[in-house]
Amino acid sequence: MSPTDRLRLTGGAVHDPANGIDGEVRDVCIEDGRIVATLPPDAPTLDVRGMVVMAGGVDIHSHVASSSCNHARRLTPEEHAADPVRAPRLEPGEDPARSGSGGTVPSTFTTGYRYAALGYTTVFDAAVAPLMARHTHAELSDTPCVDAGFYALMGNDEYLLRQIDTGEHDRARDYMAWLLGATGAYAVKIVNPGGIEAWKVGQRNVTSLDDAVGSSRVTPRAILESLTSSANALGLPHPVHIHCNNVGIPGNAATTLATMQTLAGRRAHLTHLQFQAYGGEPGGPWSSGARPLIEYVNGHAELSVDVGQVMFGPATTVTADGPVEYLLHKSSGRRWVNIDIELETGCGIVPLNYKEKAAVSSLQWAIGLELFLLSADPWRVVLSTDHPNGGSFASYPALIQLLMDRGVRDMQIKRINPKLLAGSALADGLAREYTLNEIAIITRAGPARLLGLRQKGHLGAGADADVTVYSREPDLARMFALPRYVFKAGVLIAEEGQLRRAPPGRRLHVRPAFDTAVLADVRRHFDAHSTVAFDNYAVRGVPDAPQAVAAP
Amino acid sequence: MTDAGRRVEHVTCLGCGCACDDIGVTTADGLIIALDRACELGRRWFGDGSTPARTTIDGRPSSAAEAIAAAARLLTGARGRLLVYLAPDATTEAMREALALADRLRAVVDTATSDPAADAILAAQRRGRAAATLGELRNRGDLIVFWGVDPAARYPRFFERYGLDPVGTHLPNGRASRTAIGVSIGAAKGPAGMDISLTFGADEETAALGVMRATLAGAALGPLPPALQPAAELAARLTKGRYVVLVSDAEPGTAAPDGSRAEALIALTQRLNDATRAALITLRAGGNCSGAEAALTWQTGYPLAVDYVSGAPRYRPEWRAAARLAAGTVGAVLVVGAAAGVPEAVCAALVAVPVAVIGPRASEAPFRTAVAIDTGTAGIHETGTAYRMDDVPLPLTPPLDTPRALAATLRLVAAELGAAEARG
Repeated sequence: MSPTDRLRLTGGAVHDPANGIDGEVRDVCIEDGRIVATLPPDAPTLDVRGMVVMAGGVDIHSHVASSSCNHARRLTPEEHAADPVRAPRLEPGEDPARSGSGGTVPSTFTTGYRYAALGYTTVFDAAVAPLMARHTHAELSDTPCVDAGFYALMGNDEYLLRQIDTGEHDRARDYMAWLLGATGAYAVKIVNPGGIEAWKVGQRNVTSLDDAVGSSRVTPRAILESLTSSANALGLPHPVHIHCNNVGIPGNAATTLATMQTLAGRRAHLTHLQFQAYGGEPGGPWSSGARPLIEYVNGHAELSVDVGQVMFGPATTVTADGPVEYLLHKSSGRRWVNIDIELETGCGIVPLNYKEKAAVSSLQWAIGLELFLLSADPWRVVLSTDHPNGGSFASYPALIQLLMDRGVRDMQIKRINPKLLAGSALADGLAREYTLNEIAIITRAGPARLLGLRQKGHLGAGADADVTVYSREPDLARMFALPRYVFKAGVLIAEEGQLRRAPPGRRLHVRPAFDTAVLADVRRHFDAHSTVAFDNYAVRGVPDAPQAVAAP
Repeated sequence: MTDAGRRVEHVTCLGCGCACDDIGVTTADGLIIALDRACELGRRWFGDGSTPARTTIDGRPSSAAEAIAAAARLLTGARGRLLVYLAPDATTEAMREALALADRLRAVVDTATSDPAADAILAAQRRGRAAATLGELRNRGDLIVFWGVDPAARYPRFFERYGLDPVGTHLPNGRASRTAIGVSIGAAKGPAGMDISLTFGADEETAALGVMRATLAGAALGPLPPALQPAAELAARLTKGRYVVLVSDAEPGTAAPDGSRAEALIALTQRLNDATRAALITLRAGGNCSGAEAALTWQTGYPLAVDYVSGAPRYRPEWRAAARLAAGTVGAVLVVGAAAGVPEAVCAALVAVPVAVIGPRASEAPFRTAVAIDTGTAGIHETGTAYRMDDVPLPLTPPLDTPRALAATLRLVAAELGAAEARG
């Protein structure tokens, strides 16, 4: 089926929460790659009676295409060797598909194919050093089947820290706008604000929102306030995407709560909340800090989160948060990559294995589920594993099953190490089971709305015809792992895990307006300190038109 | 076409791994007539920009279409394994096309720098690494150790752009803000003019690195032989730096590196991060060899020596191109990139197999070719992307037009394969 074809999906139970449809049996009509309200009676029909129809999945936070991912791939050849992937056989007339390798950080083509087979059709890489944006675009060009974009790391950017230090917030805002457009990014990412710079200057890290970064007057709080305000003033479709300070450390829930409080009504997205929801004290015993955090989120409509669920099994931690990876290396003794990236950020990588018999892994698993099960508004609590940090995106079906089936959850609870679960809401019993409509919200409708992607995450007229059709099965993990049909822009790309077509995806990026007077100063900064010429910095030829940006 | 005095700024030089992107190039009548800021190595790499545009079959002139068809036949008719060899001076975009061909034809793939680079790559796969982009050296590196390498010879602008001279964000007095230490290992000399110079014999290197790591770990070493005492003192000195950068060379230098050097330097640098901040910078060749490894990694998971024979990529780091050719298992070779950049050992082995070369100056290859298709050189004639030695991707702004684009030519070969398959 080509994008110009028409198709009526008929008889399926449609879960389209963005349009208030909760399991109603109705037709979904596709024409020219879009959803349309109606089709002529003689339009081709696909009978999906008894099946569940949703929009294509939208991954708001993943690590799939970056120089850091490529360093992680290079670090883990044994994982690739254990998971060789032959080129799928596509429909006649299609260009040959590509082989690849899996593991926790699959090769690019395999990443695209596996997302497609899972029914996900939109993906964002959550952490790209602007200097390496050109690399990310190249990887995304080799990641078919998904529309994709990335967030540009700015929370430790030398130029921004200087502007914040001198109170030049307008200049900071204009620089951020330029950087987004120059790199073809979609949103602003803050990772451990000020902490990566502290790691580089030998301060090791910052530990509170009011620590000075190096010898400057800049603090994490000032970075959060400035960048969040700027991103909102620019009218970006997605607000700042924040990885807090003290990630992965006992007692960090207090830092996370302080971060949310300092945002003071500003729109923001806090990512992989599980990794920053630990009670106790630094250096002390771990405990769950989930409840006060999710209750704060519940009460603040301007905040959204994704969970970053830990799933048992192999993972690779990949983050710009260099200091936390150093600590992980020292505590685990595992292989460790650290790469400091000039003037901008860092990169740390440590492969891990979350074991159900390990006390901390078990607590992390429980905290993630607590966040899901205690949330009051699924539109603002998105499903993620922070792939590949908490586990692979391939584990999403198993996570959905845990959310929808208390029986499966309780069986898993009996298998895990209970040592640190005292006081855990999950251990005390959380009966909630997600509905199909709630799953549709946390996997597509919610993230699309939070990303400002009006054409994604729903099945109303005008939406992209990214559609996933599931066969009902008692085994929910199997149901969500092997969608019966997956359509991308109206093209059937996968059936029950078998790839049929592998069209290239679209690039999702923004190009906000800004006062170009800032560029003279930015050029001076580059001339003085950068090893890349200012005129060579911007990525040329970013595919596809930029997404709309709201007027400030 | 007359083209009097056209000027192009910010051209990226791929003459070495520094990938200086500040070169000014003046052209006239299709030739380079002036270069600004290029070092001697860069001047040799750019030359005058002239490049042949021939296509040959068995050394005889042919049409481009005939050569492309002949290349496709050679690739599919190999008696034995097909080797796709990623040579220098190709854009990353061209390498992606080459890998698509290799995948389709179940070839083996290797890069022109896999032999010298393998030690460091394999060591990093065992241990990880602590590294940095070159700008961190420029802006923060206050204590720099050149371990058995003098960048001046093979990376002429390293000191000027990255290493010692620049004023950095955290080094307001430039060279005066830094302490530079040169360590000579046997015949592999450190740079002249260092603040401190040390020498270890080639047979003492492993022990010296071991002493340094042990010193950092606080191990009781007991009396050391006099030759190794400087190693303990150097280790203690390194802990006083705020941002220590160790610089070593992954490419062949004046002495063949000990196989254990790469891993020992990684371990030392990682350990240094317990006391201060430290990064290891490994010098690499130019010509976008780092880009070849990057593209190979994102498409397969592996940075070198990939085997597609089973239909999925397999890692065979012990079976790099030279070893495969020597074993006689290769039935045909596709060289993508500059034939002049193929190492001598590989060139010598190519006499026994039919070879197609698609790349700059293919028709002047230093080995016999069954098919040669000249294309432009990445960065001189061809636009695209190339990677600096520290994996920073840079745009290529060619000052001259390409006689034939490499990536597009590879797509034509792929189309020829598709047409042949359709014909049955």
